[in-house]
Amino acid sequence: MNKYLGNKLAITLFLLPALLVYSVILIYPVLQTGFRSFYDWDGLSEATFTGLANYKELFADPLLTTSLRNGLIFAAVLAFFQIGLGTILALVCADERIRGRKLLKTAYFIPVVLSVTVVCQLWIAVYDPTNGLINRLFDILHIPYQQNWLTSPTHSIIAIAFVNAWQFMGYQFALLYAGVKSIPEQYFEAATIDGCSKWQAHRHVTLPLMRETYKFCFTIAITSGLGAFVQMLIMTSGGPGTSNYTLTYMIYRYAFMESEYGYACAVSVLLVAISLLATVIINKVFDRKEV
Amino acid sequence: MQKLNRFVLQIPLWLYFIVSIYPLFWMISYSLKNNEEIFVTNPFGLPTHFRFENYVTAWSQFNIPRYFLNSFIVSTISTAVIIILALMFAFAVARMVWRFRGAMRTYMIVGMFMPLQVIMVPLAILVRDFHLTNTYGALIIPYVAIGLPFSTMVFYGYMKSIPREVEEAACMDGANIFRLFIQVIVPMVMPAIATVAIFQYLNNWNEFTLAYILITDEMMKTLPLGLLFFQGTYSTDWGGMGAVMTMASLPMVILYLFFSEQVERAMTVGSAVKG
Repeated sequence: MNKYLGNKLAITLFLLPALLVYSVILIYPVLQTGFRSFYDWDGLSEATFTGLANYKELFADPLLTTSLRNGLIFAAVLAFFQIGLGTILALVCADERIRGRKLLKTAYFIPVVLSVTVVCQLWIAVYDPTNGLINRLFDILHIPYQQNWLTSPTHSIIAIAFVNAWQFMGYQFALLYAGVKSIPEQYFEAATIDGCSKWQAHRHVTLPLMRETYKFCFTIAITSGLGAFVQMLIMTSGGPGTSNYTLTYMIYRYAFMESEYGYACAVSVLLVAISLLATVIINKVFDRKEV
Repeated sequence: MQKLNRFVLQIPLWLYFIVSIYPLFWMISYSLKNNEEIFVTNPFGLPTHFRFENYVTAWSQFNIPRYFLNSFIVSTISTAVIIILALMFAFAVARMVWRFRGAMRTYMIVGMFMPLQVIMVPLAILVRDFHLTNTYGALIIPYVAIGLPFSTMVFYGYMKSIPREVEEAACMDGANIFRLFIQVIVPMVMPAIATVAIFQYLNNWNEFTLAYILITDEMMKTLPLGLLFFQGTYSTDWGGMGAVMTMASLPMVILYLFFSEQVERAMTVGSAVKG
């Protein structure tokens, strides 16, 4: 039997194609990014080793402050909106007696399957200062809060982050909903019989048991916030000026517009380091309170 | 009292229902209106007169059919290749007996945690050096590589749960290892194949960032990329824009409506595999 399943030639044939594509296209570039971040390189001519020069330059780059700030705001909007609101919706929707749950779930999920280009262009229209949905709605309701949603150097990042939050709300909702559903009904019933109100029961029974779900949801929200790119590219081209830059936008600009590949790689390394740090912190926070 | 309570509780659910769906309804509505209706007479509701000519114009005047074709080719080939390669890899790691299979599995999992941004720059250069820029290969090969870790792990999970007796029986019957794989194991993991196929198709169809970096030729653009063109040149014709956006969205929305269970399962499987 072991001879049958230990056929060396067969193993090689089964492994090789996947291994080759994966190593050349994914692992090799990852190593390259780390390696090239120590070089001055325009992508074409000979690269020169410059040690930590790229990193020194990076930490003095005024774009870095903007990018980090925007990444944090983006992550905060995602976490607050998707996980906060998503939790409430998932808890209410988990009640078997509520009608139309299938319809609700479907409606929340549809934006997830749309192309990000469609979503961004739709929201450019929604945010349009004169004909957009929001300003028209404010007009009808006589709320004097109409504005150019996408051109404010300070606030447009929130408007942009909201587009991403809106699109992937359904994804987080599906995760949270599955998390709520995975908890045995009896736990919740026991708590309500012991005199807890419904919300107390959720607060003290359901939510603590969903630790693993929350760990994953927060990791997704925070890392995708820190790495955000497409929304600002399509909706504002990183502007006005450079006010909507993020780390990924910096990578894009330095690599593909200014041909500073080495420097762009240094930004990539920083982005990975920050994402890893965030993941570690999230894990620590959720592991701390053991039940 | 309880009934009233439940009703009040449901309000946030339906409010968010509107937030989630109304922008899309609004888009479809304006895709069927002319500018006067959109901007002045009837911005919010259904069109009074369905102007399907917006769709006809959009389809015939621009490169839309070409973008559809490109997206179709790229997504279909990538998804098929991902499934074949991932099945083979998962089979070798999950069912066959050799020394470094644990290490091999870990090596593949690593890729699942790599953000796209880390490989973006070297990948662009790699594609250029292989002379793949502006070919289907420039997208298909990276999509396959990126799709492999997740797909392999899903198949691995399914294959692990198949009892040993299956192989023993196949061995007794004198089937060689390749027949065992194709005629016994692959049919047994069909549900996993369906899940992975839908998930990867969706991902590949909607992928934007890599396509944006690797494709510049108008004739090779996929839908998400091609749609950008309208933003600049056609931003005053909202009806036409809306028609283009609606058409581009339909295939995936239909796919989701038919396979909603599988799509949601694929997503949550992803969380289980990663977490």
